[in-house]
Amino acid sequence: MTVVPQGGGSVSRGSTSSLYDVLDLILDRGLVIDVFIRVSLVGIEILKIDARIVVASVDTYLRFAEACNRLDLESGSKQPSQLTDLVGEITEGGAEGKSKGALTGAVEAVKDSLTGNGEEEDEEEDEGEDEYEENEEDSQEEPEYEAEPRQQSRRRPARKASRRQRE
Amino acid sequence: MAVYVYSITSKTHPLRLDDLHGVGEPPGRLRTVTAGALCAVVSDAPEDLRAKRRDVLAHQEVQERLMADEAVLPLRFGMTAENDEAVRAVLEDGAGEYQEQLRNLEGVTEYNLKVSWEEEALLRRILEESQQARELNAATRSGSGSPEMSLALGELVAEEAEARHQALAAGIVEALRPYARDDRSSSPGGSDFLNVSFLVQEDQEEMFLATEISLANQLGEECQFRLRGPLPPYSFV
Repeated sequence: MTVVPQGGGSVSRGSTSSLYDVLDLILDRGLVIDVFIRVSLVGIEILKIDARIVVASVDTYLRFAEACNRLDLESGSKQPSQLTDLVGEITEGGAEGKSKGALTGAVEAVKDSLTGNGEEEDEEEDEGEDEYEENEEDSQEEPEYEAEPRQQSRRRPARKASRRQRE
Repeated sequence: MAVYVYSITSKTHPLRLDDLHGVGEPPGRLRTVTAGALCAVVSDAPEDLRAKRRDVLAHQEVQERLMADEAVLPLRFGMTAENDEAVRAVLEDGAGEYQEQLRNLEGVTEYNLKVSWEEEALLRRILEESQQARELNAATRSGSGSPEMSLALGELVAEEAEARHQALAAGIVEALRPYARDDRSSSPGGSDFLNVSFLVQEDQEEMFLATEISLANQLGEECQFRLRGPLPPYSFV
């Protein structure tokens, strides 16, 4: 029996989930058994604090205003009409009842044109693995999730940007 | 010796765990504690367990391997018992409840969906749709507006963004709900506006995934969908 754990190699192959995106489930969900002790995990609370910042603050308002001011509105009128219709209906008056109708209707319309979904789903999974690799590299230096949750959340736009380029 | 507990399964579970290892450094050896018809997957608990990537991953891999064969009750990361006896006592005391949960979770898996709205696209949309926001934006970007106007613009945009987030989140959940046995939303993190888990039955999985893809395609210009699964039913135990 070899004792060299080749964990890095076998890890997560065949796994369809990117660890980063399911962290909240692993750390914050799952069965809790009262008589068991939950090891004190510094930082798990921090992960929760990282939840979306409440929008009602002067800082947020100013940031939004600046972001609006920076927008180049002239180049932005190439929205696909389909999306505009869809979201327009959904958000009109914030009516939840109405949103159901709009979305479900649209979903059904698209559903008919969907024959197989295997390929697209695979694509999604591949991207998940890319993300995983990135995280793995990060983890060499800051192996604990509690280390810098702020930084994690800041990294996301960049990752999203690179994903959009790939598409 | 304290033991780290990963999951509860039925005793008949094949438990193909040979090539996996547990939490800790060096990694703990996975073993089982059985009582009646139930079985708990455990390893010796490391002295200083923390939420390290390696350990979280080990925890998750055990669940994923187990769920591939049969229903599993995944424990939350970090649960330890005093010793094997304590684990056995828990299995005995909760036997009825755990067995029922395992029966209920046979043939279902969890899918977690997180969705974010690209901020620039959202702001653009708000400006297109709100004349008041357009006017405030025009005034403040030309430099002639007062600081109060900037604040008013920001507040208006923040409210509009929140309303759109909520409406779209509700719409997405409604669209997927017919194909799920249960769903559970929780507070989204980072730039996400939706974080929801669905409990999906095997025979509904295809429709669930097809619907999710069509949603992602329709909204994909502006929204980023991150669907993860199949996962052990963390949110439904």
